[in-house]
This record gives sequence, C-alpha cells and structure tokens, in this order.
Amino acid sequence: MHSVVLKEERCIGCTSCLKVCPTEAIRVRSGKAKIIPERCIDCGECIRICPNHAKSVTTDDISIIKNFKYNIVIPSLTLYGQFPANIGIGKMLNAVKKIGFDEVAEAAMGARISVHLLRDYLLKKSNLKYPIINSSCPAVIRLIQVRFPDLLPNIIDLETPIEITARVAKAETMKRTGLSYDDIGVVFITPCTARVTSVRNPLGIERSYIDGVISIRDIYGDIVRNIDSVSNGNLGKSTKESLLWSIAGGQAEAAEIENCLEVDGISNVIKVLEEVELGKLDDIKFIECSACYGGCVGGPLLIQNSFIAKNRIMNYVKVADKSVMSNEDLDKYINMYESGFLRLTEKIEPKSVMSLDTDLVKSIHKMEMVTEILKNLPGLDCGVCGSPTCRAFAEDIVKGENSEALCIVKSMEYFKNKNI
Amino acid sequence: MDNIRYDFKIEKDDFERAGEASSNIKKILRQLGLNSGIIRRVAIAAYEAEMNLVIHSNGGSITIEIDPRKVTIYANDRGPGIKDVDLAMKEGYSTASDRIREMGFGAGMGLPNMKKCSDDFSIKSILKQGTFIVMKMFLKDGD
Repeated sequence: MHSVVLKEERCIGCTSCLKVCPTEAIRVRSGKAKIIPERCIDCGECIRICPNHAKSVTTDDISIIKNFKYNIVIPSLTLYGQFPANIGIGKMLNAVKKIGFDEVAEAAMGARISVHLLRDYLLKKSNLKYPIINSSCPAVIRLIQVRFPDLLPNIIDLETPIEITARVAKAETMKRTGLSYDDIGVVFITPCTARVTSVRNPLGIERSYIDGVISIRDIYGDIVRNIDSVSNGNLGKSTKESLLWSIAGGQAEAAEIENCLEVDGISNVIKVLEEVELGKLDDIKFIECSACYGGCVGGPLLIQNSFIAKNRIMNYVKVADKSVMSNEDLDKYINMYESGFLRLTEKIEPKSVMSLDTDLVKSIHKMEMVTEILKNLPGLDCGVCGSPTCRAFAEDIVKGENSEALCIVKSMEYFKNKNI
Repeated sequence: MDNIRYDFKIEKDDFERAGEASSNIKKILRQLGLNSGIIRRVAIAAYEAEMNLVIHSNGGSITIEIDPRKVTIYANDRGPGIKDVDLAMKEGYSTASDRIREMGFGAGMGLPNMKKCSDDFSIKSILKQGTFIVMKMFLKDGD
C-alpha cells in the first residue's frame, strides 16, 4: 500500500537513501535498496536524495478519468509556485482542466473552510490536548504513529483541505448533476508522496473521496503546453489564508494562532516532537509540522525549488483579500464537522515497529546481544553493510534479517592484523 | 539473567550533551517493545534526573535497569548533596541561579515530577557526598 517504490534497474546500491530515512526503513541487500514496508511513512526523503532517480512514486495515470462519467480535478495549492507570477492562477488551473477534466475544484475552498473551522470553532473548544499538532501533513501523522504514539491524541481531528475540497465538491456535483457517487471521479494533483498513500490507505477516515492521484511532475509538460491557449476564466478564487497554507507556518498565520511553533523538515519535526514527548512544550498552543522543508512547496514531486515557489506565492498573498465567512456558512461547516463529514472519525492506532521482539524477556536477551555485537563494530555508520548504522546492523543480525552480514571495516582490520 | 542494565555518565554543566542519556533510554525501551505510556513516564523521570545532575551536581551517573517486572532508574551524583530534602521535594522550590532560570530550567519541578512519574520513589542525600535516587516503574500486563 505504499507510494514510494524502487526502480530496481536504476539502483546501484549506493547508501544515500539509507542515511536520510527518518524511520530506518531502508536496507541495501544484494546491491539493491529494499524498503521495509511496516516502517516506511512515505515521506519521500529517499526520492529527493537518490542521485540515480531510482526511488519513485506509484501514482495514477491520466487514463483513470475514463472510469468516470464526470471528472473533477483538484490541483494542489503548491501548483501556483511552479510558474512565473505573471501567468496568473486562473490560467494555471484552466491549463490543468484542459488536460481532460470537466471541472476544477480549487483547493482554496478546503483551505478556507479549514482555517475558519480551526480559528472560529475548534481552537475555542475546551477538551483539547496541548500542544495541538496539525493534521495536514500525512507523513508527520505516520511518523507520529511509528515513533511518537503517545502524541496521537494531540493531532487535531480536522480533515485536510484537500479531502475537504474533494468531499464538498463531490457532494455538490452529485446534487447538481444527479450523478451517483461512483459516476464522479475526483483526481488530486499532488506535490507529495505521503498524500498518495493517504488516499489509498487512509488514516483517520474510513475512505477518501479522492479516486486518483497524479503527481505535478507527471503532468507538468501538459500544463506548459496548454497554458498559452487558455484564459484566466473564472478560476483563481484564492484568499490570503488559502495561499499561505502551502508554506511552512502558513496555517498558524492564516488561523491567527498565537504562541505556536512552526517546524519544517522531517529531522526538525523529530527533534521538536521529542521535546513534546518529554512534556516540555505543554505551554505551546499549536505546532505546525511539515515533513518537507519550506512546507508543502518543498514537496518531493514538485519541479520548482521551494524558495522560488515560496517567493511567487508570497507575491500572490500580498494582493489577495482576506477570507470572510458568514455565520450561516460557518454553522453549515461546523455541522459538517460535527457530523463526521469533515472530521477524522477513525482512531489512529499506534504502530510498534521498532521493537526487537513481542516478548519482553526475548527482547531483553536480544538487546544484550545487540550490545555485545556493537562492542565489536567500528561505529562509523558507513552503511556499506547495507544497514544505516552500526546499531541497525547489529539489530538486523539479532533479528535474523541479515544472515550474510559483513562489516567491511572489521574485515580489513582482520586482514591487516594478519599481515597478508 | 532476564534483566539488562545501561549506565550513562553525566558531567556537570555539560549542556551540550544534556538530554542525550534520557533520549537513549527512550530508544532502548521502545526497542524492548514497552508500551508508550510507561516509556513516557520513564523518559520524563530520566530527563529530569539528568538535568538535575547537569545543573546542580558535581557530576554523576544515570543507570537504567529493566527486568520483566519493572524499570528501575538510579540517579547517583558526587555531591554537593541537598540540605533539606523535604523542602526540595516541594513543587516550585528551587535553588537554581537566575542564569539557569533564564535558560528555562530551575522551575522547582524536577524532583516532584520524578516522584509523580514513579510507582516507587526513594531519595537519600548526604551533604558533600551526594544524592542517591531510586525510581521504580512497575510493568503491568500489556506494558
């Protein structure tokens, strides 16, 4: 069920990806990188670093639209930073539509609903567990599930803007056209690998209203070819809040949350969540975590680097209007939240994938063996053995996952001492 | 033997490495497969003990011992010892200097927090010799 996959023919068995994986989910075996599925959180760090482009993502093909009578496309808010600002958001959206969709549902809608629900309703509730952690980054949620299970209750139970957009757009289209749920396809254009997984294998909800996911990379060429032949149309209904959403710290800024932390980059997220786990940040109200540097604009499936993308989006922010929502609309969305339509309704269960054994006594024995083996390893964490660190190497041996294990540094020392 | 022990040396004023021991302890417990509630309690207690050694003591060690029934943390230092242990156990009481407080430590919650996290807590302090703390967290079914 993972979106991150290996193109084996391109992998040369170098150790680049081993080092960056935040959950130590990669091993090199027989000269090829292998992903341990239980550990992978689909953050895409390995895709970003692989010099041979061997790490890839399984997304849907545009032909998926043939399965539906009516197709809605939701382009990610990060799209706006992929083209020079003089092109205009409306043109970009129409260029995506022209690829073969019947309708564009702007993610700005979901972001706007999300910001108002957060600011005007959810944050005023009294039963919240502080610090509140944003639910919008699926890689962070999976990271918490694997490494910080105690913090699962801190995640705000609000749906992400993309899922909100999909749900509202699909429901409205069903009403307007009389088509059934299964007749309408919703396709998300993603900057993010973890989002692909969260559509296929959702966390916190029973099923996603999104039917297909295509990466921005894969249709970038089509957009470029279409852009000159489309007009701005009546698309591009962004507000300040929705534009800020894809930039690190933008959610907290949009929802006007004081006393918050903005953390981007998965290694930074880990550091801060460790502090939260120790109870040291209980006085903070909200922590906005994004696995990618710079926020969603730093997504692994984007073309433009995050600094340029951010600059372009910030230029739109300067001239955009603030969102105003009538009490009537707010009440409507509050009802949708309370009824579970815009809410994470399913419990996110902890995943204990780091333990050596399910039985404590066996675990203790294995841990002793790990400690013994470690005494004989050089501690260089070179990765040549195929495990990310000497410690992981020792654990792999103890767990019986690496019977042909060989430490090249130890072997060299051995031969040197023998004076061969 | 069905138990395992780890020792961590803690140096006075070593803020650069402060927190490393408790972070390692947390990783060990996670790998042993303990439940996250007890891991959190042990991690908080170990962290408070570690910071106490860095800030107040002349250095010492944190030892963790795990057996199938319980987790035990020993925090031993080489002085200077606590004058009035009962007073030190009160929430909000602190002897930390202004400099330490400015850094966000010394809220006077260290010892009370450690006690709160433990099922069994004992402290012995001898002036000029050192402070010796033993904290036990018992494992229940499912931990």
